[in-house]
Amino acid sequence: MRWLHKLRLRLRSLVSRAQVERELDVELRFLLDSQIEENLAAGMNSEEARHAALRSIGGLAHLAEQCRDMRRVNFLADLAQDLRYAGRMLARSPGFTAVAVVSLALGIGANTAIYSFLESVLIRSLPVHDPASLVTLNWHTKGRVRSGRPTVIKHGNVNYYFAKAGFTGPTLPFPAFELFRTGSPVFSSVFAYSDAGSLNLVVHGEASLTRAQFVSGEFFRGLGVTPAAGRPIDAADDRAGATPVAVASYRLWQNRFGGTPNIAGESILVDNLAFAVVGVAPAGFYGPGSFNAGMEPDLYLPLHTSTLLDASYPAVPWNDKFSDKNNYWVEIMGRLRPGVGIGQAQAVLGPMFQRFAADTASNDKEKADLPALLLQPSAKGFESLRLTYAQPIYVLMAMVGLILAIACANLANLLLARATTRRREIAVRLSLGAGRLRILRQLLTESVLLASMGGALGIVVAVWGIRSLTLLLANGRDGFTLHAGLNWHVLAVTILLSILTGLLFGLAPAIQATRVDVTPALKESRLGKSHARVSLSQFLVVAQMAISLLLVAGAGLFVRTVSNLQRMDVGINREQVLLLTVNAKQGGFKDDSLVRFYAGLQTRLAGVPGVRNVSLSNVAPLLGGFLAFRVAVPGAPADQPGLWPIAGLLVGHSYFQTMQLPLLRGRGIDEEDTLGARGVGVVNEEFVKTYFSGGNPIGRHFQLISSFSGVEPADIEIAGVSRNSRELGSIRRAILPTVYIPYSRGQQYLTSMVYEVRTAGDPRSFVPTIRQLVRQAGARIPVTGVKTLANQGDQAINQERILAMLSAAVAILAMAIASVGIYGTVAYGVARRTNEIGVRMALGAQRQHVVWMVLREVFALSIAGIAIGLPVAFGASHLVQSLLFAVKPNDPVALTLAVAILFGSAALAAFAPARRASRIDPMAALRHE
Amino acid sequence: MLILKTVSVEPKHGWAIGKRIQQISSDVLQVQQGSLYPALHRLEQQGWIKGRMAATETGRQAKFYSLTRAGRAQLEQELANWARLSSAVNAVAQMA
Repeated sequence: MRWLHKLRLRLRSLVSRAQVERELDVELRFLLDSQIEENLAAGMNSEEARHAALRSIGGLAHLAEQCRDMRRVNFLADLAQDLRYAGRMLARSPGFTAVAVVSLALGIGANTAIYSFLESVLIRSLPVHDPASLVTLNWHTKGRVRSGRPTVIKHGNVNYYFAKAGFTGPTLPFPAFELFRTGSPVFSSVFAYSDAGSLNLVVHGEASLTRAQFVSGEFFRGLGVTPAAGRPIDAADDRAGATPVAVASYRLWQNRFGGTPNIAGESILVDNLAFAVVGVAPAGFYGPGSFNAGMEPDLYLPLHTSTLLDASYPAVPWNDKFSDKNNYWVEIMGRLRPGVGIGQAQAVLGPMFQRFAADTASNDKEKADLPALLLQPSAKGFESLRLTYAQPIYVLMAMVGLILAIACANLANLLLARATTRRREIAVRLSLGAGRLRILRQLLTESVLLASMGGALGIVVAVWGIRSLTLLLANGRDGFTLHAGLNWHVLAVTILLSILTGLLFGLAPAIQATRVDVTPALKESRLGKSHARVSLSQFLVVAQMAISLLLVAGAGLFVRTVSNLQRMDVGINREQVLLLTVNAKQGGFKDDSLVRFYAGLQTRLAGVPGVRNVSLSNVAPLLGGFLAFRVAVPGAPADQPGLWPIAGLLVGHSYFQTMQLPLLRGRGIDEEDTLGARGVGVVNEEFVKTYFSGGNPIGRHFQLISSFSGVEPADIEIAGVSRNSRELGSIRRAILPTVYIPYSRGQQYLTSMVYEVRTAGDPRSFVPTIRQLVRQAGARIPVTGVKTLANQGDQAINQERILAMLSAAVAILAMAIASVGIYGTVAYGVARRTNEIGVRMALGAQRQHVVWMVLREVFALSIAGIAIGLPVAFGASHLVQSLLFAVKPNDPVALTLAVAILFGSAALAAFAPARRASRIDPMAALRHE
Repeated sequence: MLILKTVSVEPKHGWAIGKRIQQISSDVLQVQQGSLYPALHRLEQQGWIKGRMAATETGRQAKFYSLTRAGRAQLEQELANWARLSSAVNAVAQMA
């Protein structure tokens, strides 16, 4: 209990300090008086008595201090005192404080924002039970899987990526799934899933496109999630012939069903087929699968219903995909039994799959490169966002890390500058008897306080940064719902870093300052001795400049890339065109009625006042998709089997007028073509160059062979030649030989169509009218992807745009921080050398000379920084070459601009203090200490 | 220990404590005020004595210290230790 009492006393010493001090004062005064009385009684007079008393006691202040020491609350009390003092000192120089805190906040905030965002987008573990024990089953081959190469992987969704040696993909045949499901001692559960894409969901009469996923019966149980309502899909539902059921996502339940508790039994239409909702997934749930962050499925359907839904796509023989051993379409995941490692599982299942695959090989060549089973931990999924954005994000991470470096250098410089100006104050305190340690502690407290303030503000910056990044990435995509949370680890690390910087750079000058020999410091007024101690500060400024140069040069490269991409001639006129995607197939139309619907809609749209042209195509321009074909042209060498080098587009009439894609010969697709049975087509220049050696192809015929199995080759007569354009395929890709055929001739490929509406005036103002029109044509038909062609173009280069914007922002930030740092350093330098400047001016130096004197040093530092930064920029730019477009890594324009910007901002930053230096009144300066 | 013993009888202020020790020990132990007061504060911090502002006989304000219960236990322990130590030293010193 004694410690409690002790604690109370210590707290009392801390809290009611004033009273404790008063008591001490009274006590010691009493002591003094008593001693004086004794002395008087011994016969001294009052003077002597007093002196003798003081002598024998040894100094009241000293005694009081000793008593205080005994109370042993020094640490806390001193800390409080230090903090208060630090606060006062910081408030006394608000400019310095603001600069240091803001630059730190920006550095910390930017870093945290990027890393948090990175974590949410790239590295997410599944929100399920024990994700660490989940493994995905993939195939792995040494050779490339490409149609034409002998392989057992005949068809299926063959997405693959480059593995260590060879290729890997996530899909396997359904019979393989059954194999693993039945005889596997290593998995406690095995389940399969497959992306269903966007399906037309009708709830209570309202249609919308909804992302869906096919899952096997074990899916929810295997992941270990319990539904928020109702029941999950189970094995009984996942059978051929079972009643179609569905599980809704939490989000869908809230948005479309209003969160009703009677969700089980609600009936919905999925692509015009009746399903019954049986349950709701938990809030925030998403399972494995290759979908982008923010676009998780809203509907989970049993795997076997995929045959029902696929039935509307006759050209593609999916109906036997549950028994076809060569169709690699389903993704499989298993949960390892406790105690079983992934290596063990691989050793058991690998041979099983090998026997299976060997059975499916139809000849020896296929046997030579059988796919092997490869198990991978679930974290390494196929998230396409990660793969697409990985490199730019790493580049950004590096850039933002450099900002933190600049900010810390700023802090260091400012602290150094301050320490120098406070030498006198420190000398005085030392001479008054303050301990060195005590002064050091106080200086350090100041630095730490500064760093902490920067950290606190940094949190605000980080939160705002994350929000902005999310907005940037969403960029108008439908249904993007990524919520990046603040990554507290990173925040803690960056704050720690800033505190460490504060400690380190508060320490070095503090030690230097307290080592000072007191007398010269006290006398110091005339001598503006500076240069030995300035070297560290100079080094920091040079480093800042070098880093800033690097960032500005990098930003310049990325910005030029985007500018090149945007200005590139795509061949079509992007302005004033509205796009909308209409999927009448999901609304129940098919074959002839589908064609008639699309044609009818085109006519109706053309009738809207203000619309100049309307056309349609099966893929939106600038999106990058097309049908792949092979051709057989009489008189030209045949294409190699297995290659599909021709791009094909299904278009409506007036396509070329609407897109303003010039026709070099012949005519475009007209209305008769779309109604008639003639097989005509328009080809582009590249096609003519490849197959007709540049001659006149009008009227010539060729065979168009589809990559879809089951589609007969079509005989096409060339009716026109169009100029090359880049509206298909990625902008960066080489131009492909292209053929445009009327969509009425490609019924087997028809699903959704994209309408291009060229308007007089702002296309967006036509949106309500057009939506109304489509709804009139068919209420159950979803309309999506409504945007202008110009926006579509921006979306196509979204990655490059984001990179350019962010790197520019980073570069501007870096320059701002560095400039402010330069300003501060120079200002302090001038203040310190006020005396020296005064002397010079008194001796006759001109104002301009003084300005030049100050600027000269800054220029010297800038040149040093550029000298270091330029070669580094050279080297680094080669690393990011793959991100650039039509810009050489050592682009002289970007580099020259960067150097100029750097020089300019350094000069600007130093100009104000330099001018102030020249305005110094020599008389005042000479008196200044 | 000496301080504790002195205040164990009755509460005293610092000056009186010093004088008393001097007096009882017949001036053998000269107490330096400069060391007495820090010691008093330390003992108070340890919780063995308690300080209180009060008026002296002459009406002046002074801080009076008294022994706490924990202090009394500490005093007894220290006295016991001292007795053991001094008898041991005596035994060795008288060992001829």
